[in-house]
Amino acid sequence: MCPKLSFLPRVGQVPCISGTIRDMNVAVCVKQIPDPAGELSLDPSTHNLVREGKLVLDDSDSYGVEMALQLVESAGGGDVTLVSMAPNGETSGLRTALAMGATAAVLISDAALAGSDALGTARVLAAAIRRFQPDLVLAATESTDGYTGTTPVQLAELLGWPSVTFAKHVELGEGLVKVRRQTEAGYDEVECPLPAVVTVTAGVVEPRYPSFKGIMAARSKPLDELTIADLGIDPSQLGAAGARQEVVSVEDAAARQSGEIVVDEGDAHERVVAFLERIKVL
Amino acid sequence: MDFRPTPEQSLLQEAVAKVAAGFGHSYFQERARQGAKQDELWSALGDAGYLGVHLPERYGGGGMGMAELTIVCEEVAAAGCPLLLMLVSPAICATLIARFGTEDQKETWLPPMASGRLKMAFAITEPDAGSNSHRIATTADRSGDGWQLTGTKHYISGVDEAGAVLVVARTGTDPTTGRAALSLFVVDVDSPGLTATHIPVEIAAPEKQFTLFLDHLSLTPDRLLGTEGDGFRQVFAGLNPERLMGAAIATGIGRYAIDHAAAYARERSVWGQPIGSHQGVAHPLAGAKIELELARLMLSKAAWCYDNDDASAGEAANIAKYAAAEASLHALDQAIQVHGGNGLASEYGLADLWGTARLLKTAPVSKEMILNFVAQHSLGLPKSY
Ligand SMILES: Cc1cc2nc3c(=O)[nH]c(=O)nc-3n(C[C@@H](O)[C@H](O)[C@H](O)COP(=O)(O)OP(=O)(O)OC[C@H]3O[C@@H](n4cnc5c(N)ncnc54)[C@H](O)[C@@H]3O)c2cc1C
Ligand SMILES: Cc1cc2nc3c(=O)[nH]c(=O)nc-3n(C[C@H](O)[C@H](O)[C@H](O)COP(=O)(O)OP(=O)(O)OC[C@H]3O[C@@H](n4cnc5c(N)ncnc54)[C@H](O)[C@@H]3O)c2cc1C
Repeated sequence: MCPKLSFLPRVGQVPCISGTIRDMNVAVCVKQIPDPAGELSLDPSTHNLVREGKLVLDDSDSYGVEMALQLVESAGGGDVTLVSMAPNGETSGLRTALAMGATAAVLISDAALAGSDALGTARVLAAAIRRFQPDLVLAATESTDGYTGTTPVQLAELLGWPSVTFAKHVELGEGLVKVRRQTEAGYDEVECPLPAVVTVTAGVVEPRYPSFKGIMAARSKPLDELTIADLGIDPSQLGAAGARQEVVSVEDAAARQSGEIVVDEGDAHERVVAFLERIKVL
Repeated sequence: MDFRPTPEQSLLQEAVAKVAAGFGHSYFQERARQGAKQDELWSALGDAGYLGVHLPERYGGGGMGMAELTIVCEEVAAAGCPLLLMLVSPAICATLIARFGTEDQKETWLPPMASGRLKMAFAITEPDAGSNSHRIATTADRSGDGWQLTGTKHYISGVDEAGAVLVVARTGTDPTTGRAALSLFVVDVDSPGLTATHIPVEIAAPEKQFTLFLDHLSLTPDRLLGTEGDGFRQVFAGLNPERLMGAAIATGIGRYAIDHAAAYARERSVWGQPIGSHQGVAHPLAGAKIELELARLMLSKAAWCYDNDDASAGEAANIAKYAAAEASLHALDQAIQVHGGNGLASEYGLADLWGTARLLKTAPVSKEMILNFVAQHSLGLPKSY
């Protein structure tokens, strides 16, 4: 078993570019989440995920960060600015993404944001992004912990920009972005004028590991911490107060039935075919 | 006092853990069995700059210290891939070159070592001079403006994957003490006059050990590292990094063992409840965890002392190496025990680490020599040899 690792974009993976675009400024929405490998728990009264401990960069967002870095590299210049909303002034996940090579980060952290739903989050991200007017906003198709997959499109709506979801390939053109959008049957080729919001799927690019140089360079990169007062948003639209979504109850997922083991006694292929027919896959 | 890692150290740890997790113990085990190397892992670490974190930035390094290099080493071992050559090439050889090399030597050797493209082996041990380096018999004689090297070294790791070997040789005798005056030489592995024969050992690791026969091997003057005759003192500068790395490999193996054992004890059930609920299983594992964390604490202190030129750096490195080797063996033994019969199965990836964990009690410095050091230097007891 030889693991596939790549530290350089492979040929064909580097987004190619037609026309001349200078200084491509990309914002990447970066969610910082409780380490999925650790112990996770829900608050018994609000049923919200407990986010008190250290948070990490959501793996889903490492693809957006990598994509943004590659797009800016291929454009020949520009900035990759990270935008994150997280409790307790958490910056660990942002530092990981800065070490990968992002230029700067904006963190919005405010006690009044506790209990935010996806729309509240989108409001906050939109207000932060409006301040620096990037050419393109990248986000993941869905986060690993909440995975409603609704934040980016609400963000696009609030910004008044078009959005393209499920991107499996992203390329820049003159004043536009070309996206191969994954569908059930294959993919659609979509062109969309900039500025726009694009959500990328896992595997769209191979995220780089932060090099030690990148880690040391991240020390001196700008990391702005903003409150909702800085953004001038009405607090009644945010946090638990503004949330239109409430988690009413939580139940354990039904334990999965143990599978059927087919031991090959010369007829395994027939039994597997029979099983697939029974569940109407064949 | 502050026991927290810096944000950069935490990031480094996370990043190395991710890289190493892409390989993991099954990769390591398979490579060891096939007699193959771990080149992909080594290059991945080198490409990201992790093998040179402690070297000066001018020579392709990261400009930090042993605290960072031990983090890299422990993390890779904790993923089930203990890399013995990290102890040799970046920790001993590159440290000695950075410290005693000429500008030319640093420019030649350090950048490729920092990037992982070059590994350098280290040869001090001899059949008749193991723990006692004063008895080294390999001799470098003046020959023209260069040197001629003759002698035998044994148990030299990684000669088959290294580009060069840093050899400790006698260049004279100290007139006052009668002891060997030592010097250091960088020798290309493909030099005429160098033959290496494999020494089979019962360690399931990709690194192999060799006996090196050096027969009138010619060296140009630029191959002398540091000052002629000052080798003993110079080698000493490499010993603390070597001990720190020995400790880091050990604590990495200890973490790997305890993580696996705890996970198994939570899942495995033979009396209707997880075996971890039996105190006979839980307590020894908790004890092993305590010993391991104490060793890790000593390791961070020792690395800090080294990086900050603290006077107790030597004592701390020795104590850390001793404690880590003991804790790691104990943790691995207990992990094997917790796994019952599975503890011996190849699939569970524990028993095959025994050779490496056990080695660290003997090499790079033996338990007894550390006890000698502590008895003499920390307790002021008379030297016994
Ligand atoms: C009931 C409830 C309570 C919550 N309480 C808090 C709280 O107290 N404090 C807090 O900070 N969060 C809190 N959250 C998290 C919340 O703000 C989520 O970020 C938001 O609901 C997005 O939901 P999602 O995970 O389904 O995102 P999705 O829509 O699945 O996310 C898609 C992508 O959008 C982007 N994105 C999503 N969320 C963020 C974010 N926060 N920052 C940057 N990019 C983002 C990422 O690129 C992400 O991959 C709470 C969520 C819920 C449902
Ligand atoms: C797998 C492996 C890899 C190695 N890699 C390298 C390498 O890359 N480069 C290299 O140079 N060497 C290497 N070595 C050699 C290793 O460093 C030595 O084996 C080790 O230092 C012990 O030396 P020795 O074998 O000569 O033991 P000896 O010196 O013969 O000692 C035998 C025993 O006596 C004890 N002893 C000796 N003197 C005293 C004393 N005064 N008081 C109390 N006890 C004493 C020792 O602790 C030991 O237990 C390697 C060894 C192994 C097994």
